[in-house]
Amino acid sequence: MECKIQNLANVVLIEVEGRIDHGTAPAFGSALLPHVEGCTDENKKLLLDFGKVTYMSSAGLRVLMIAAKGCRKQGGKMVLAALQPTIQEIFKIGRFDMVLETFSTVRDALAAISPAAAALYGDR
Amino acid sequence: MAAPVANGRITAPTIDAVARCTEFAAAQAQDAGFSLARVHEVELVVEEVVANICRYSYGDGLGSVELCCRRLDGPKLVLEFIDYGQPFDMFTLPAPDLSVDLDRRDVGGVGVPMLRALVDQASYRREDARNILCVIVHAAPKLAGDPSST
Repeated sequence: MECKIQNLANVVLIEVEGRIDHGTAPAFGSALLPHVEGCTDENKKLLLDFGKVTYMSSAGLRVLMIAAKGCRKQGGKMVLAALQPTIQEIFKIGRFDMVLETFSTVRDALAAISPAAAALYGDR
Repeated sequence: MAAPVANGRITAPTIDAVARCTEFAAAQAQDAGFSLARVHEVELVVEEVVANICRYSYGDGLGSVELCCRRLDGPKLVLEFIDYGQPFDMFTLPAPDLSVDLDRRDVGGVGVPMLRALVDQASYRREDARNILCVIVHAAPKLAGDPSST
């Protein structure tokens, strides 16, 4: 599991790659933690690009839930984008689709949460 | 050191049982000709079961988990999880309320719903001071995966 971080205006974009399972979930949580702590008001957004996440168990879902709750508690917001079809189904089983906002693409997510960040993201 | 593997069986200490059992079951599913999508689902099943055994059956203590794997026509796999901890049937764990909003949601509790969605059959019995959980997984994926991964 790897996380690549980009700052785009008021958005921290985290590209997550690989497996999030019982073994890697703690490292995933540690990678998210400083960005969750920085997500402190309604202008600060955290966007997780899940396009390269190939496997996620309930250990990963637990990390996401803790992160989303942390952002919300501080007045910030965390959203996800580009979930693979199987991950989308896992979200539905756990009803995560009802409590976490998800978008089909990173571009769609940026357009919805921060036009300034979307402009910086450009035509990628 | 490699985990002991013989006749479709692995025994692993709880400290690394999740990783070893998951890897073992994935290899068994691949050998049975399961698609990559279904192999990932079998890995999810094994991860959820073994993590629950380590957490609830043994509590804070150490122990071991045995996983026996048999292949049946279909193809399908019979996965039998055996532990020597306290009596524990994970299918009786209280279901979390998944209908509430983010602020009121528990952070965990989705492992068993995921398990139910991914297996074709499951049964539990307590026998000779052992917990024995038997699950059967057929080759057909349960989740709508990417066709390119099958």
